[in-house]
Amino acid sequence: MAVPSTYSKGVYINNEAGGHKVAKFFSVLYALVMRDITSRYRRSSLGLWWAFLQPLILMVLFNMLRGFVSIPSDGIPYLLFSFSALMPWTFFTNAVSACGPSIINNAEVIKKIALPREVFPLAAVAATLFDFFMSAGIMALLMFYYKIHVTLALLWLVPLIVLMTAIAFSVGILIAGLGTFRKDFIFATPFLTQAWLFATPVIYPLSSVPESSRFWYTLNPMVGVVEGFRTVLLKGEPPPADAALWSVIMTVGLLALSWPVFRRLSGYFADVL
Amino acid sequence: MSSDVSIRIEGLWKKYGLPIPEFWTKGVGAVRKGLGRSQGLQGKEWALQDINLEVKSGETVGIVGRNGAGKSTLLKVLAGVTGPTRGLVEIKGRIFPMIELNAGLHKELTGRENVRLLGAVMGLSRREIEDKLAHIEDFCELGSWFDQPVRMYSSGMLGRLGFGVAVNIESDVILIDETFAVGDLKFQNKSLERIKSMRESGATILLVSHSLETLQFVASRGILLEQGRVLSSGTSLEAINAYEKLVFRSEQVRLAQRVKNRITSEEVNIYGARLFGESDETLTEVHMGKPFGIEVDFQLNRPLKRPMFSMGLLNAAGILCKWNISEEDGLIGVGGDPDRYRIKIYYPKNNLMSGAYEGHFAVREGATFETLERIAGIVSFAVIGENRSRGIVAGPCEWRLTRSSASEPGVEIIAQRIQTGQ
Repeated sequence: MAVPSTYSKGVYINNEAGGHKVAKFFSVLYALVMRDITSRYRRSSLGLWWAFLQPLILMVLFNMLRGFVSIPSDGIPYLLFSFSALMPWTFFTNAVSACGPSIINNAEVIKKIALPREVFPLAAVAATLFDFFMSAGIMALLMFYYKIHVTLALLWLVPLIVLMTAIAFSVGILIAGLGTFRKDFIFATPFLTQAWLFATPVIYPLSSVPESSRFWYTLNPMVGVVEGFRTVLLKGEPPPADAALWSVIMTVGLLALSWPVFRRLSGYFADVL
Repeated sequence: MSSDVSIRIEGLWKKYGLPIPEFWTKGVGAVRKGLGRSQGLQGKEWALQDINLEVKSGETVGIVGRNGAGKSTLLKVLAGVTGPTRGLVEIKGRIFPMIELNAGLHKELTGRENVRLLGAVMGLSRREIEDKLAHIEDFCELGSWFDQPVRMYSSGMLGRLGFGVAVNIESDVILIDETFAVGDLKFQNKSLERIKSMRESGATILLVSHSLETLQFVASRGILLEQGRVLSSGTSLEAINAYEKLVFRSEQVRLAQRVKNRITSEEVNIYGARLFGESDETLTEVHMGKPFGIEVDFQLNRPLKRPMFSMGLLNAAGILCKWNISEEDGLIGVGGDPDRYRIKIYYPKNNLMSGAYEGHFAVREGATFETLERIAGIVSFAVIGENRSRGIVAGPCEWRLTRSSASEPGVEIIAQRIQTGQ
């Protein structure tokens, strides 16, 4: 029998009676995040303390660096200055590097059960958010110690966290999607984030970036986020508008590119795993 | 699609992997050719070709086929795990794939935590999971192990955990791939029981199993896949018979090759062997209960004092079902000079069960018991029967059911069925 032309593309229909697709998605997401968080530190003596330790160690390292090289910090105590940026930055790098292998790590499930594939990188990002909130606790202690004046501008943190998550997710799914087919993308991730760190005002202030290249600099969506965190937390002011706006635009653009790519590739994950 | 149809497949074709556009394949091929390399990007094979199938709700369909025939691919496409390349696949209701269940568990988590995870992955809401947790715990029979990390489990325990979750999820379409081999006999029976009750509640079941007995009992319909195509579709018995014939044929080709490669030896040349029936007609398969024989055409290259021949019949599992020695059967004091011979081994009473068999032929010197030549698989054949009974020995069986209470002494039910064997 010849192949009917109407089906030349391949159609799969499953009309599940009363399918609560959204509820199901979140149920899986919750289970995966719980799995990631509870299993990550199991079989380690320090357990959950690692969630605190990681940012603390980075903070100490950066402060040691400052002992050798003079880095301006806009008159803010460097400890606060660096940690306020390290919080979103550590989240970003951890989330992106967790996303990369999220498909390969869940191969056994993906090969057997039809689920929206986005749930795996999303769960990786969400589980990293847990660590982020742990380090936020340290930040709160630091702010208390340095007697930082807290204002209502703190509410800006909510959209900033959403934005930060969106950036990590859109970069992460691209790496997860491509990395499932070619592992090179996953191996290259640490170098990508390393280079990205230098292009983001984490260890140095935005003010030390030359005015002439400021526009190109702010196209990096993490600039708006990192600078936003610093302004909101330390100065008690809303995030700088232009950087934040560009960050949103770039994030939407990035997501508009990476999500369709991921969608397209995800149909073949089960074939190559 | 009509209301009682649960699964509809129309013109399904499936090819694995990312579809590489033709211009790319051609371009890369041309470049490679230009560079003097072999053409790397060849067109991939079709894993499924033009599958058409309609399954009504409540039906249980068994899928048989050799390794790589496309059984698992078909289930994967139905599960929605991998998309069809061409064609239409339409499924009504909640699908539940039970495909190699002991995978997908997280080693560091406890059994209980894994049940929550599996439940969610299999489409249960959090409340449903909590409601079923106690029942699943009970079903798995893991005891205190349930709260231990699964990395400490044995493979059987892992399987039980996965199966425990699986069978406690209500769904409309169940896809099963080789899960019956999990756990001990008691657990297997429990699982079969559960599948039966799911079927009774109206679930549609698609089942891939290498256990033909299981398929025969569980499935009402059968499909035979070979190289991605449906070779036979009908009752489960028809599909199983077609499968056995297929396996046997391919085995026969392999054996014929082997005999060909062994025809020359220093002392005996074997020229061929054939299967024959009551009136010496050449057969390819034997009907259950019908007499048959095996003829071997060979040449002796050295004189034998007491030539002795033996023929053993082995079934597909490699079990020796019958072994006869010419001397014991009365063939004494014949032949022995170097010459070409034909020997006929006739079985007037055929008690072989249906299935695939092969003959092992040997020539010996009876005086010293020295083996001159031994050929495993000199012939291979199938014994075919219409009955469902299996095993090694065929033959009728008398069944007698009597009441142990003597109140009704007259009642005695005798069931007897003579297996005619056609």
